[in-house]
Amino acid sequence: MRIDKDTLGELYGRVGVGNQTMLGIMGNNRDVSVGEIFMIYSQRDGHERVFFFRVLGLENYLRQVDDMARVAGTLMVEGDAYLSGIERNMLLSVDGKMLGYAEKIKDEWKFRSPRRLPDHLAHVYRPIAGTSDEVVQEMLGSQTDGEVYVGDLQIGEGTLDVPIMMPSKYLAMHVGIFGSTGAGKSNLMMVLIKSLIDTNLEAVTNPQEDLPKISAFCIDPHDEFAKGVDNYGIQNIIESMDQNTRSSLIGDFYYLTTHLSATQKEIRRYGRDIRILWNEIQPRDLYSIMEFSSEMYAFIEQVYSIHHENWIDTIITMNEEEDDIGTTKGTLRAVKRRLKFVERSPIFIKSGQSVLGDIYRAMESGRVLVVNTSLMSDMEQFLLTTIVTRTLSDLRRALKSSGNLSDFERQAQSRLPNSFFSSIKKSARSFYGVGGVADDSPVRDPRYLPVIQITVEEAPSILNPRLMRGQSVFKDISRQGRKFNIGLLVVSQQVSVLDNVILSQMNTEINLRLGNEREIKACIENASVNITGFENEFRVMSRGEALLTASYRELPLPVKIPLFDDVFERDMDRYKGKSSKKKVKHEL
Amino acid sequence: MLEKILTDQFRKKLKLLFTDIQNQQDRRDEEEFAKDEQRIKTQLLSTVDPYPPDVLLDEDFLVAAIDGSGTDNLMLLDDVRVHLFSTASILVNTNTQAEQVFEPIRTELIEEELGEQPHLETHWHSGVRYDASKKLAETLAEVYPVKDIANLVLPFFKDHSGGSISAYSDFTGTEYERRVPSLKDISSLISRERILTNPIVHEEIRKVSEYAAAHNILTSKFMPKYVMLDGAMSVFMHHVFKYPSMPSGFMLRELASLARKENVILCAVSKNHTIPFAHKIAKMARDVFGEGAKWFCHLPCSSDPGGGLHIYEDRTYIPPRLAVPYLFSFSRDNRPSRIDFDRIWWLETIFVKDDPVATRNNEKALFRELEFMSRDARWYGYPVALALAHEQCKLSYEDLRLAREICRDVRIEMKLDSVKTEPYRADYNL
Repeated sequence: MRIDKDTLGELYGRVGVGNQTMLGIMGNNRDVSVGEIFMIYSQRDGHERVFFFRVLGLENYLRQVDDMARVAGTLMVEGDAYLSGIERNMLLSVDGKMLGYAEKIKDEWKFRSPRRLPDHLAHVYRPIAGTSDEVVQEMLGSQTDGEVYVGDLQIGEGTLDVPIMMPSKYLAMHVGIFGSTGAGKSNLMMVLIKSLIDTNLEAVTNPQEDLPKISAFCIDPHDEFAKGVDNYGIQNIIESMDQNTRSSLIGDFYYLTTHLSATQKEIRRYGRDIRILWNEIQPRDLYSIMEFSSEMYAFIEQVYSIHHENWIDTIITMNEEEDDIGTTKGTLRAVKRRLKFVERSPIFIKSGQSVLGDIYRAMESGRVLVVNTSLMSDMEQFLLTTIVTRTLSDLRRALKSSGNLSDFERQAQSRLPNSFFSSIKKSARSFYGVGGVADDSPVRDPRYLPVIQITVEEAPSILNPRLMRGQSVFKDISRQGRKFNIGLLVVSQQVSVLDNVILSQMNTEINLRLGNEREIKACIENASVNITGFENEFRVMSRGEALLTASYRELPLPVKIPLFDDVFERDMDRYKGKSSKKKVKHEL
Repeated sequence: MLEKILTDQFRKKLKLLFTDIQNQQDRRDEEEFAKDEQRIKTQLLSTVDPYPPDVLLDEDFLVAAIDGSGTDNLMLLDDVRVHLFSTASILVNTNTQAEQVFEPIRTELIEEELGEQPHLETHWHSGVRYDASKKLAETLAEVYPVKDIANLVLPFFKDHSGGSISAYSDFTGTEYERRVPSLKDISSLISRERILTNPIVHEEIRKVSEYAAAHNILTSKFMPKYVMLDGAMSVFMHHVFKYPSMPSGFMLRELASLARKENVILCAVSKNHTIPFAHKIAKMARDVFGEGAKWFCHLPCSSDPGGGLHIYEDRTYIPPRLAVPYLFSFSRDNRPSRIDFDRIWWLETIFVKDDPVATRNNEKALFRELEFMSRDARWYGYPVALALAHEQCKLSYEDLRLAREICRDVRIEMKLDSVKTEPYRADYNL
């Protein structure tokens, strides 16, 4: 026998009825909650396995009592009634779902989907924090490892010290964060941002190990990531870094905002104003965020073919009477109306200093940007996200289709506005060239560049079936992003209204508490692994609790997302110089 | 069948039946009951003064209970019928001091002292003449722990004769003198051998198994205050021989005698009983004491002060020989039950000659304890120890089905004929 059963936790009960998907356990009368994970030790036909079982329903069971209601009634009516020796007959009938099983093959734990059944009346163990953590972490290694820390394995209302990570290589296959208001999305985002910074820190401090770097363009719709919700925010991480670390990890800035001058002084030091030039906007950026009629679409395309990157200025200044393209007044007015928000926006400017090049450089350097969109209109936010996504995608696409830097330059020029590409050309060559920046230098494979995560906040507004039918940038990214190592981080309160293209391409979902039955159903249907039967769990989820499902894992992982303040306080010393090299618990 | 049961015709048939009973039975009994009514109300009925729920007894005590179950048809091998018996002994502790009232004694401790629980026993006999009697005697002799026949037989005669017969020599000059040879082994104590049907054999062994379990408790280290049996303390007498017609009657008296010696209260509780007018007595109790009152009612015999009741004048089995029955009810939801005590013990301990008040006080103290042990919410109004014993010994249909399967398995293992063990009707899907 190889498994020390004592390390599995407290002997809780015995397997009763069930099959390879659902089981009924008869257990001790303990304070068990829905969502707890039990381990079932089984030895059948010489195979020693530990099955993982998730509690989905509980029922009190009294041996020797067929009619509980009658007994309860008697206890109520007859004030002197007792229940002799009932303690030992008080049991819990626990129903739940088989999550899979772990089996040691050649000294390595393998985790498999539930395709077998534990032995007759197998012993059921209830993990205990402090006792079972190590063995659970070992058994679930293939299900929990990765570079990006999300939270800890939740067992009911408590957690085990088993960190749940996401492998960086799967981030380009899109991540969904679903949760209703108050479910803990902001805290989760902050924890994720910190994890990304930690991952980059590891890569920077251990350059010889060729560790992955992750970039992220994180939309902050309530301007709370930098300052934090309670005591600490991302700014505190930045401030706790020594100069060198800070310079390696964030360069000059990490914070983007619409009005830098109105930003808190400490944050302002690491901030930039969001400014995008009109000529950096392409027609399809707008097609991705709003609807255009075929006439408007034809008109815009015609203007763009003639005036290229000056198309917005051309349309905005176009005199209805002097229209040399031959469009109707109605179409022109309609297009102008749609461009009105661009014209009025303080962030989309006709001339001046653009931040798009800095964003690009940050994204290709493995940096995390916090983008305060709290003072932007929805359309401004959507357009910004689209421009950034499309620009990065175009550059990586150009890279992917090139053999050397000369090819790349040609490809990129054909895709991007000239003025913009000219401004970043030098940087792009240095990022993408292998062994130099000469024209004939071979280019790097995008797979070895930093993974770029683009947050799409209020996702249903732009990832809905209506817009995704057209020429949406996001449709391309959702289907092909993985080729370019660009992934979407889709944040939404609703699952049901998202387009199927994006849902089917998403391979990791972090499902927080959801608002209603429809969303729960949609979430279960959309999950990358089968979580049928978890309806009750969603109904009882608390703030900060999530179910992480991923197509590359067999096990749906219940995760307790810690408070950002707690993880920051725990790790704050690691950002300073030498100590930053010290391994911390949640890193693999 | 249902279409017949649901017809008006069936209802009419029932109406005729009940009218018949009403005309023949009820009217006569009503008249008899009217004669007893006042006496029952004023002298025989009394309330229980219950202990408060948080009572702390000066001395906590143990209550033992025995119950049995079984089947006379575990399997049929041609004319051989295999019986199975299950007997369970339970002990509970009042345990008021530890505030764990009526906590059962752990099965391991009981098994250590009394053997496996529930105890399983088998028996068989064929249709060959005298085989039933012979094998019954063998089984009873094996099951009951008293092996000396004199010790088994004489307690009955001692109690029955008021102490004048306590040795075989005392039979000299009595009506029993010529029966002495029949009183020297168990097989000759079976005087109903001609009517030894399977159910009678089964009932006898089951009863004796329960008495044997009670005997073992009385001789164990447990020393309970009460030993409770399920059923009545009736002894069926041979109308000619004037002694019990089956060995179990002698064993019950031996048991009662041992209980007295050990200072243990032996009693038998029956939920199913045939005390006439029990429902009328219950109604009377409710009228007198109130709807929710807990009460008991002594059912006197002819030698008690005031004599027996008119309602059972022609029902000679009430009260049973050498027993004192009471009706009781500790819950408004239940029909009254019956409890029997050993009459000799009762006369020594409860009854106070010429002092009905003292007798009543003794009765009340007794029923106070009985009521206290009958408050488990699962079986409210019924002694918890007996209920637990019942739960432990009962053989469900599923248990029996499995037991039959195992019979078949064992026969296969023994390379005997593999016969079907289900009842014959199963062959025809009946």
